[in-house]
Amino acid sequence: MSRLQYVFGEALRNMGRNALVVLGAVLAVFVSLFLVFGTLMFGEIANNNAAQWSDDVRVEAFLSDDLRNVSGLQEQISGWSDVEEVTFVSKPEAVENARVLFADNEAILDLIEEDPSFIPASLRIRPTDLQDYDGIATRLEAQPGVLRVISAGDAVNQLISLRDGLQVFSWALAVALGAAAIALIANTIHMAVYARREEIEIMKLVGASNWYVRVPFLFEGMLEGLIGALVAVSVGIASYRLGFDQIQGLVPLIDLTVSPEFLLQRSIVIVLFGVAVGAVGSAISLTVHRYIRT
Amino acid sequence: MIRLENVTKVYDGGVVALKDVSIDVTKGEFVFLVGPSGSGKSTLIRLMMREERPTNGEIWIAGKHASKMPNWKVAHLRRSIGTVFQDFKLLPSKTVFENVSYALEVTGRPRHIVRTQVPQVLKLVGLSAKSDRYPRQLSGGEQQRVSVARAFVNRPLILLADEPTGNLDPGTSVGIMKILDRINRTGTTVVMATHDHAIVDAMRRRVIQVERGRIVRDQSRGAYEQRAGAETPARKPADQPAVSEPEPSRAERELAQAEAELAELPIDESFASEEEDFESEAGGGQAAV
Repeated sequence: MSRLQYVFGEALRNMGRNALVVLGAVLAVFVSLFLVFGTLMFGEIANNNAAQWSDDVRVEAFLSDDLRNVSGLQEQISGWSDVEEVTFVSKPEAVENARVLFADNEAILDLIEEDPSFIPASLRIRPTDLQDYDGIATRLEAQPGVLRVISAGDAVNQLISLRDGLQVFSWALAVALGAAAIALIANTIHMAVYARREEIEIMKLVGASNWYVRVPFLFEGMLEGLIGALVAVSVGIASYRLGFDQIQGLVPLIDLTVSPEFLLQRSIVIVLFGVAVGAVGSAISLTVHRYIRT
Repeated sequence: MIRLENVTKVYDGGVVALKDVSIDVTKGEFVFLVGPSGSGKSTLIRLMMREERPTNGEIWIAGKHASKMPNWKVAHLRRSIGTVFQDFKLLPSKTVFENVSYALEVTGRPRHIVRTQVPQVLKLVGLSAKSDRYPRQLSGGEQQRVSVARAFVNRPLILLADEPTGNLDPGTSVGIMKILDRINRTGTTVVMATHDHAIVDAMRRRVIQVERGRIVRDQSRGAYEQRAGAETPARKPADQPAVSEPEPSRAERELAQAEAELAELPIDESFASEEEDFESEAGGGQAAV
C-alpha cells in the first residue's frame, strides 16, 4: 500500500516539476490517438454503409430460383466488355452472408432462421471502370431469370474511394505522431531521471533493486500516455455526439450511426494503446539513461 | 570477507588503475588504504562495492563472487555493504531522520524496523537531538555522521569509506573516526581510503599502501609512512592530541551511552536471517575458491 503511494506520489511530483514538457508529451499522445480514433470511426461508418460493395463489386443481380443455367448467364455477362469479373453467390452462401450482415438486427435474423430459402442466389459484378456501371445494370435487368438488380449509389461510391485514400494517409500520420509521442514521453522521463540523479545514486548505493528505482519512472510514462489517450477518447466521443446531427444533415445518404459496442471497444483499445505508448517511451529512456543503468 | 585475486583494472581509454592486486580482508578487520591521489585507492573501493568490474582477476565480497555477479544481483549485495564518501551524498530535501531511514525504506524494510533502528543508529552517531534538521542546517562533521548512520543502519557486514574525513578539519575527523571504530568493534569489517596521516598513525590498524596501481606495502598495525622501526616517532603525541583526549561534550556522552546499549542490542530477526543466508553462501564461495 505504502509502495503504491510511493510510486504514485513520485510520478506526480516529477510531472509537476516538468509540467510544460509533460504537457507537450500528453498533447502529442492526444493528437495522435485522436487521429486514430477518427480514422477508426470513419472506417467503421464507411464499412457500415458499403459492406455490400467491398472488393470493388458495384452491381449485384439477384437470381430467380427458377433459373437453371446459371453458369451460362455468368459466362455471358463475363463476355461484356465493361465487365471485369463475375462471382456467383449460391443460396447457402447468401444466407451465411445475410447472417453476418444483419448480426445486430434480430428481426431480420429471425426471418432468416424461419425460412432461409427466401434469400436468393446472386451474381456480383466488378466493372472494368469502377465509376461507370449504369449500362451493366440496365442490361442485367433485361436478362431472363434476374429478379432484381442493385448497384452502388454515388454517395457510397465516393465514400469508398474517400475511405481508401484517407485511411492510408491518416494511419501514416498516426504512426508518425505516435513515434513523436513516444520520443516526447522518453524525453520527460529523461528529465525526471536527471532531476533525481542524486537520489537514484543513493538508492543504488544502499541496495534498492533496479525495479524499485525504475518503476516510478515507468509508471510516470504510462500515466502520461493514459491521460493523453483518455483526453483523445473523450474529445472524440464528445465531438461525435455533439456534431452528429449537423454532419448527418450534410450527408443524408450516409448513415453515420455506429454501435455503442463499437465505441466502447475501440475506446478501450485506444486507452490501452496510450498506456503502451507511455510504457515504451519510458522504457526507451530507462534503457539508455546512464544514471539508471547499473 | 573481502578477497581480491590478481585484480587488474583498465578504464576505457587505456588508463591502468590497478595492476595485479591481491588483497584478503577477514571479518572484523579495520583496513586503511593509503597512497597518493590517482594511486588506485578509489578504484579499489569502487571494485569492493561492485560499482566497477575488474578487467582481470576475481573478487569475492561478503562470500559472493562479485566479479562474476550479474548486474541485477548487485542491489542485494549492496545491502550488506555500507558506503561513506567524502561528499556525504545526503539528500537536501530530507531531514536527518529521513536520510537515514531512506536506506531502510528503499530496501523494503517494514516500518517497525525503521522506527526502532533509525533512532538507535542516530544515537550511536550522537545526532538524536538533530534528527529533524535538514543537512544544510548541520556542520560538515554532523553531515558526515548522518552519512555514516545511513551506511550503518542496515547493519552491513562491510563498511567502505572513501576519504570520509577529506572535507573535515582534524578535530571533526577524530569524531568520525571514533564512530567508525565503534562500528568496527560491533564486528563490521571497515575499509577506509584516506590521505589523513594523523588518523592512520593514531589508530594503528592494518595499512595497505597503493602506488601507481600496485600494492607496495601491507602491514598490520602500520603507520601512514613506511618507517624502518615499528615504533612510532616522537612527534606523534603532538600530532593527534584529540584522539587520546576525548572532549566530554554532550554528544560524546550520548555516544558512549549508545555504544554501551548497542552491545546489548538484540539483533533484529530479518538481519539475523540475512546473516545466516550469508554464512551459507560464504561457505559455498569459499569451497569454490
